[in-house]
Amino acid sequence: MTFILFFSVFLIAACGLIYELIAGALASYLLGDSILQFSTVIGTYLFAMGIGSYLSRFIGRGLVARFVTIEAMVGLIGGFSSSILFLAFAYTESFRFLLYSLVTLIGILVGLEIPLLMRILKDRFQFHDLVAHVLTFDYLGALGASILFPLLLVPRLGMVRSALLFGILNAAVAFWSTFIFRHQIGSPAGLRVICLMVLAALGAGMVGADRLTGLAEENLYADEVILSRNTRYQRIVLTRWKDDLRLFLNSHLQFSSRDEYRYHEALVHPGLAALPHARSVLVLGGGDGLAVREILRYPQIERVTLVDLDPEMTQLFSTNPMLTELNGRSLLSPKVRVINADAFPWLSENGEMFDFVAVDFPDPTNFSLGKLYTTAFYRLLAKHLSASAYVAVQSTSPLFARTSFWCIVETIRGAGLKAHPYHVYVPSFGEWGFVLAGAFPYEPPALLPEDLRFLTPANLSNLFDFPRDMQPVDVQPNRLNDQILVRYYEKEWSQIAR
Amino acid sequence: MEPDRPLVPSRRRFLSAALVGLSQKSGRAVTGSFVLESHEAGHRLRDRAFAAMPAREQRVPLVIVGGGIAGLCAAWRLRRRGFRDFVVLEMEDRAGGNARWGENEISQYPWAAHYVPVPGPGPSLARELFEELGLFEDGEPSERHLCFSPQERLFLQGRWQEGLEPAGTPKDIDQYKRFSDRMADFRANGAFRIPAGDSLRLGELDRLSMRDWLLREGFDSSYLQWYCDYSCRDDYGCSSADASAWAGIHYFAAREDHDPGPFTWPEGNGWLVKRLLERVGTHVRTGATVCQAAREKNRWRIVTKEIAYVSDAVIFAAPTFLAPFLIEDMPAPQAFEYSPWVTANLTLDRLPRERGVPLAWDNVIFNSPSLGYVVATHQSLASRIERSVWTYYWALADGEPAARRRDLLASGWNRWKEAILDDLTRAHPDIRECVSRIDILRLGHAMIRPSVGFLTSQARRKFTAYEADNFWFANSDLSGISIFEEAQYRGVTAADRALARISK
Ligand SMILES: Cc1cc2nc3c(=O)[nH]c(=O)nc-3n(C[C@H](O)[C@H](O)[C@H](O)COP(=O)(O)OP(=O)(O)OC[C@H]3O[C@@H](n4cnc5c(N)ncnc54)[C@H](O)[C@@H]3O)c2cc1C
Repeated sequence: MTFILFFSVFLIAACGLIYELIAGALASYLLGDSILQFSTVIGTYLFAMGIGSYLSRFIGRGLVARFVTIEAMVGLIGGFSSSILFLAFAYTESFRFLLYSLVTLIGILVGLEIPLLMRILKDRFQFHDLVAHVLTFDYLGALGASILFPLLLVPRLGMVRSALLFGILNAAVAFWSTFIFRHQIGSPAGLRVICLMVLAALGAGMVGADRLTGLAEENLYADEVILSRNTRYQRIVLTRWKDDLRLFLNSHLQFSSRDEYRYHEALVHPGLAALPHARSVLVLGGGDGLAVREILRYPQIERVTLVDLDPEMTQLFSTNPMLTELNGRSLLSPKVRVINADAFPWLSENGEMFDFVAVDFPDPTNFSLGKLYTTAFYRLLAKHLSASAYVAVQSTSPLFARTSFWCIVETIRGAGLKAHPYHVYVPSFGEWGFVLAGAFPYEPPALLPEDLRFLTPANLSNLFDFPRDMQPVDVQPNRLNDQILVRYYEKEWSQIAR
Repeated sequence: MEPDRPLVPSRRRFLSAALVGLSQKSGRAVTGSFVLESHEAGHRLRDRAFAAMPAREQRVPLVIVGGGIAGLCAAWRLRRRGFRDFVVLEMEDRAGGNARWGENEISQYPWAAHYVPVPGPGPSLARELFEELGLFEDGEPSERHLCFSPQERLFLQGRWQEGLEPAGTPKDIDQYKRFSDRMADFRANGAFRIPAGDSLRLGELDRLSMRDWLLREGFDSSYLQWYCDYSCRDDYGCSSADASAWAGIHYFAAREDHDPGPFTWPEGNGWLVKRLLERVGTHVRTGATVCQAAREKNRWRIVTKEIAYVSDAVIFAAPTFLAPFLIEDMPAPQAFEYSPWVTANLTLDRLPRERGVPLAWDNVIFNSPSLGYVVATHQSLASRIERSVWTYYWALADGEPAARRRDLLASGWNRWKEAILDDLTRAHPDIRECVSRIDILRLGHAMIRPSVGFLTSQARRKFTAYEADNFWFANSDLSGISIFEEAQYRGVTAADRALARISK
């Protein structure tokens, strides 16, 4: 019996510390400045415990019943604390207010625990023994919690489940207290029901913890998430607000249906309209089929080969009605062949020739993607070009990432091709850049397909004109053995982010 | 098409990791074994326990013993000079020696040698061969064969940092600067060349250890000392206290300052072996252990299990220390010390978690007894690499080589496997959940040691200048510096000498 008693002290002490640590850790994760967050959370918490201890003097009779209720409440509130905080961060503006309210509330309740327990136990033990034992186990519990938290709980369970787990332990202590002290309680049945309900709620929370991610995530995208899928390669999220459909890959915006036509017209037409004899076209990346849609405007094109890494992506854009409407069912055209492969190895193992190539890769955010923007890559690509062919390359923003943009231009030149850089304004992206590359000098075409929404033959040549703040800078070409582009890019976009 | 939205992803990524936590997985069973064991055959050679009574005899003007880089390059040279009447006898089932490679469902991978620095612009044998193999395009090293970026990283203070030089205090940085200035002076001096040759300039630097030289010059930064010690273990398999200062400096001063490379391939220098075999493979006899070479009237009788070759001349490109066991009256090579090594190839079903800069080609753990690992899939063109093979290197550098060789053979596969995983766990806590297979190669006499005094020793001269009875030594161990270029130089030099004699 004595063991169970002191074990309970150990557990509630551990629980108390875990809630505090979770609040501190969450605040520093989500708000940054961990020193500030931890000190203020700990300070608030200790102060609230003081309030709790002080308040304990006002509790007169029915000590055990009060103790059990308080335990159950701590379990419930503490257990859900991190879920509440996460959702608050995702959905509300009042994260800080909720944080400190929760910390205060839990602190007060935890502050009540030990004084009440001592008073409950004071008739069973000598007072000096009691104080010594209770405080010993209290501190031991704190030690256990502080070791478990960083080593096991956060890495293995995550914050939400850790809090829930300790909430369950807290409620369990409440539950067995109704048995240990049954002689000191009038009617234990009611208390037991409360405890069981709390346990059930926490248990359900434990099971549903995964779904909570989705719930919290949804709100990080401004609009309604209508589809979200983890493929082997990436996380695809589709959102909609009124008539605006947006695609995110790994949280990077790929297009907004409101202005993607600007981007895709600019990617395809300056090059392809200048090639009246083109028959066979290659698209690298661009599994959304939007570039293919533009390419299919040319009746003389006989064959379009789309190479995209992710089969689920091309599948989605071949079947989902909303998306096939957007890309004009381009991926279902009999002229189109979809190949799911990694572009660089695919090119090196394949000998086909093309009259026009649209290169629509994600930006060079890391060394893996950076390979797709190297002299080695463009040299290989050049071997797949028929005599008069052009390549159009999406080349990040010449305004936000000016060095990166000109580095891509320089790299294409380093691979022995002529490069003709141009840019357009796409509202959801900002100023965006492309490079047209080929063996020959380029003349903008006099004719464009009809019913384009953005480009006209008259404004085409303006795209090749760069205003002062986007003009060339001195850069090195990007090679496999130095990947300087990734470094440029990282530097430039991190400045924007700040 | 993708403007970055840095705030959103970081917040989102954090949410999913912290909310759901990472599912718990138990350590998994790792399979594997020792591979390509050759010490038993070696011991039988040593004990002259091969009872070879070859049924056939074959006449061939020139025999090359050993199909490592030295033997294959001797063959390459002979063919380029129009000579075809020779065979290369190789003990193993495949040629290559220390440049051998393996392959599994994920990648090819090296068993030992894995890179060659880009040869400088001046004429050299390496440059000549590499031009022939298409490693240069219009005089520039071909990008596809150069080591991709990021090339090197170091695990220090709980995270991976870029490059191999540990970032330290201003004092360390100052000493690095001074050190690299000294190396630049040595480079300009021209005494340190590749190949190093037989009579060294600045030979006095061979009379003290690299460690003593550092101390003498006032380099007391512990980071710099670690870096130099690492370099000696990496290149020579011995510590900076054992390597001669000449050799230690050679590592830095013989290379171009701004090396864009090195050249490397998934299968390491096995790529070069394959190209050499395309040229001379028809001359190579594998599974042909030479157990005796005897002088018979003015000829050599080279005995293997099935065939005895009767030749006018011999190029001995197997390790030099074997010579006295195979050849009567051959004096034992004094002062030739060899470092024992362990290499291992780890099959990873997924890449482990880690902190710091991303995975590089060469990954070194600070203050580890090992030399870290090289990633076989690094040269892949793919933008998604989910599984990999890592080649792990461990030179048993401390203590007496003979004692360490005994340790090498005494410990079972399980012990080595555990030691390797423990070492990697420092940098990758979940490595045990990622690795499915570890194959381990034990090399008792992996490479020659340039111990203090060896490079300038008479003992070495005796074998580099050996000329009696149309017999030439050619293994890279003659150079005291175990690298591709030395092996090639020794093979080519022996081939030229042999041709000069035979055509007389
Ligand atoms: C772990 C390790 C890593 C290395 N990494 C590099 C590196 O990255 N870059 C680099 O340039 N160098 C590296 N080296 C050095 C490497 O040893 C040389 O580059 C080169 O491969 C040596 O070639 P070799 O022909 O002189 O000797 P070996 O490769 O030793 O060749 C000797 C050959 O003789 C055969 N042989 C032995 N006995 C007999 C017999 N009785 N009959 C017939 N055949 C016999 C052997 O099987 C072997 O094939 C490394 C060495 C080791 C051990």
